[in-house]
Amino acid sequence: MAEQPVIGMNLRRRDATDKLCGRTRYTVDRTHAGMLHGFIYRAEVQSARVVRLDVSTARKMPGVRAIVTAMDAPGRHGIGVADEVLFAGDRIRFIGEPLAAIAADTLAQARAAAASIVLELELLPAVTTMEEALAPSAPLVHPDWKDHEILFEGGARGGNIAWEATVVRGDVGAAFARADVRIVESSFRVPRQNHLSFEPRAVVAIYEDGRFHIETSTQVPWTVRSATARYLGIPPSQVRVTVPAVGGAFGLKFDCAIEPFAALLARASRRPVRLVNSRQEEMQICLCRENAEIRIRSAISREGEIVGREAVVLMDAGAYGGEQIFLTTMTAHTLGGNYRLGSVRLSSRVVYTNTPPNGAFRACNGVYNTFALERHTDEICAAIGMDTLEFRRKNVLGDKDLGSTGQVFEGDVLGPMLAKMAHLRSSRTPRRPADPRLLYGRATVVGTWFIFVGPSSATINLNTDGTATLVTSGVEIGSGSMMQSLPQIVANALGLRPQDVVVRAADTDGAGYDLGIGGGRQTVSIGAASLAASYEVKKKVLDIAAEMLEASPQDLVLREGRVEILGAMGSGTTIAKVVERAHALVGPIAGNGSFTKPGVAAMPGCAAGHFIEAIDIPVFAVHDCEVAVDPDTGHVEVLSYSVVQDVGRALNPRAIAGQIQGGVVQGLGYALHEEITVAHDGRVLQTGLETFRVPLAQDVVPVDIVLHEGAPSIGPLGVKGAGEVPILNVGAAVACAVSNATGRRVQELPLTPPRVLELLTGDKPPLQFPHISDIWAENVLS
Amino acid sequence: MPIVFKVNGEYRVSLMPPMTPLVDVLREEFSLTGAKTVCREGFCGSCTVIVNGRPAVSCLMPVGQVQDKEVLTVESLEVDGVLSALQQSMEEHDAVQCGMCFPGMMMSLTAFLERAPNPSRADVKAALSGNICRCTGYERIVDAVLSAALPRQA
Repeated sequence: MAEQPVIGMNLRRRDATDKLCGRTRYTVDRTHAGMLHGFIYRAEVQSARVVRLDVSTARKMPGVRAIVTAMDAPGRHGIGVADEVLFAGDRIRFIGEPLAAIAADTLAQARAAAASIVLELELLPAVTTMEEALAPSAPLVHPDWKDHEILFEGGARGGNIAWEATVVRGDVGAAFARADVRIVESSFRVPRQNHLSFEPRAVVAIYEDGRFHIETSTQVPWTVRSATARYLGIPPSQVRVTVPAVGGAFGLKFDCAIEPFAALLARASRRPVRLVNSRQEEMQICLCRENAEIRIRSAISREGEIVGREAVVLMDAGAYGGEQIFLTTMTAHTLGGNYRLGSVRLSSRVVYTNTPPNGAFRACNGVYNTFALERHTDEICAAIGMDTLEFRRKNVLGDKDLGSTGQVFEGDVLGPMLAKMAHLRSSRTPRRPADPRLLYGRATVVGTWFIFVGPSSATINLNTDGTATLVTSGVEIGSGSMMQSLPQIVANALGLRPQDVVVRAADTDGAGYDLGIGGGRQTVSIGAASLAASYEVKKKVLDIAAEMLEASPQDLVLREGRVEILGAMGSGTTIAKVVERAHALVGPIAGNGSFTKPGVAAMPGCAAGHFIEAIDIPVFAVHDCEVAVDPDTGHVEVLSYSVVQDVGRALNPRAIAGQIQGGVVQGLGYALHEEITVAHDGRVLQTGLETFRVPLAQDVVPVDIVLHEGAPSIGPLGVKGAGEVPILNVGAAVACAVSNATGRRVQELPLTPPRVLELLTGDKPPLQFPHISDIWAENVLS
Repeated sequence: MPIVFKVNGEYRVSLMPPMTPLVDVLREEFSLTGAKTVCREGFCGSCTVIVNGRPAVSCLMPVGQVQDKEVLTVESLEVDGVLSALQQSMEEHDAVQCGMCFPGMMMSLTAFLERAPNPSRADVKAALSGNICRCTGYERIVDAVLSAALPRQA
């Protein structure tokens, strides 16, 4: 019986059975003998000087085993800038900022002890919005910003601007001054979005033999290792991080979180300590997708070409820079993406406010930059009287076109994908609602995202039973890339069945360095390292088998767990026998593989303050959406949703489709009702699922999916990560469709019924951003 | 006073105060960690168990209320190493992602299929309204339920 090819097979998940039986032990399910329960005592004011923090009474409370404070964690961590402290120390910068952590026999005892902590404060002025933070005499969130250690050079900083990245290519001023251009200007605003990963951030820490063992629900075991070491002021080698199954992450767990608190408490108490955020904490101090404000202007020629583009993107960091500092980079590749631009200048600024810090969330700022870009594109089309699909076909990036930073894109990808979407559209009857009262709208939008490459490593040990054990720092966060893609890649290379590839979960003591799971990189970067390790194993197997079979290694192939001589199937031997022979000759067979970024070039001098000047693996998506808007209630119903996604090569089409359905639905939440708001006093108003409305089964439709294969990719076997990008275009598609349905400018998300009614009645004035200047030079520090 | 009730067919005794949420008794006292506490407010459905044949969110149910009752958790669905038809269907449809919502969802849907053996797609979606999933976008779960219900129709 011929075996099914491993690449392209709809391999099932090996973790599904235990998950369906409730047997999977996530971090929140882990216990140890003598384990204590941790609790974090948090600030309840937005901005203050800490005059006195007295934990002496709390220490004597029943069951309390340890209390730690800022004195125990002297170091700072951050991305680009080390501005983050573990505890508030002498200054509180947001509601929810940790002041002390307590470990007790029970959680109730820890909470009771927290209630007896004595705190004296001197309130300080605060800034809650970016407009307030950018006002000329605004109080500074970090008056000592000049003293922060710089971890990555190049970003402009000053006052409440934590980081600024700019792109300048060509003479934008001249383009806008041309007599023959039409200038179109648009403004957009989006709120924060909470990931609502079902497993909250959770950790169990143990201190043993002078080292920390941290079991945690994270996407980035190596960042947890290094950040914990920085905060505690210890060598990273003293920290071991292991990661059980993660119950959802979506970017929330792409930074060190509560692990250092548990580590400190474990060391202080000499007991295992479990620390789990409550849902209320997760709502209050979530590293949300940031709120943002965007102004974008374009100069369009009579022929419908974009001769000049200028944009300012303000991203709210909250009290510490974090991921947003990195994300300034992604404005160039998202808002500055999709289309050929004659000239371009972009200012992407991260603003400190006295609010909870924001973080990474699936496709990050790409989601709202795509919303802004695609709505702006439709406004351009309306202004110049061009069909929106024709404009896109004419202007999308193709082979050898320049991106905003001057990188050269390879291959025609978006054009053919638009054609596939047009075909999909024409093959389906439009779902116009039967009720004539409802307003019908449709839109097709495009988007550009990337695969976050960078260093990964893999080791493969070939076992005496002919199976292979793959050792990486991979984490199964739910996407299936650890359970499906990686074994498929290794099995294909070694002629094994996927179930014969054992996959080891992340353990920083056991596997090599890895940048983390996110940005579509598990299949690509760890996959590439795994493929390289497979090649080394394969070479060793073939060399030994060649001697055993008296054949040349070039004449041997690996298939179905055997080494076969080409053209004489069945005459070879089993891999198990080769391993046995190796043990006698040279010892066990293992292979190592590494991967990092190839480093695609940008045009020198175009980009400043960027962590990535050019994207190594672009990923494109085309989405189409039909909506019905109820003019009486403002309710938006999604009638159909279609996706053409660039996947490079589909390792597991069914698994990819599952990611697309899930990502689109998460995007529908963002587009239609998920909204985190911050009150004037800096408090997050949503405390749970009653006030943060996520999509339910009855809200969704099955997504029509076309996987676009064949676009260039340096990923293993030509793959691209497929789990992150499905959310990218959803806000854009829904907003453009609602705009078409209502004939109104959609400038904000989510499109909740009250917001849609405001649009329809015209009661709301257009967005104005007094803190974004009409003069380019006033929107940049440098 | 100890609270006695049946869990997955066995009599169990809880020594926790009667107002303790049932989910905490199951998870912390009995080490039945299948049921998950995601919101603790009754919205997400991840802690759903079956009490005397009806689905209930165990985060809002004080353990005192299940005295002498029969509680079924997700751990009861696999019998003698064989998954239930619903579980098998979920696995065959590759419906599972992070998996946190499935223990509760399996119990809601198991109870639902008991009372509605021939559901429509809309029926299944309505039955899922108390169970949130953040990963999958639901449709494949609905496909799996409908597929699991098919043999019953035959």
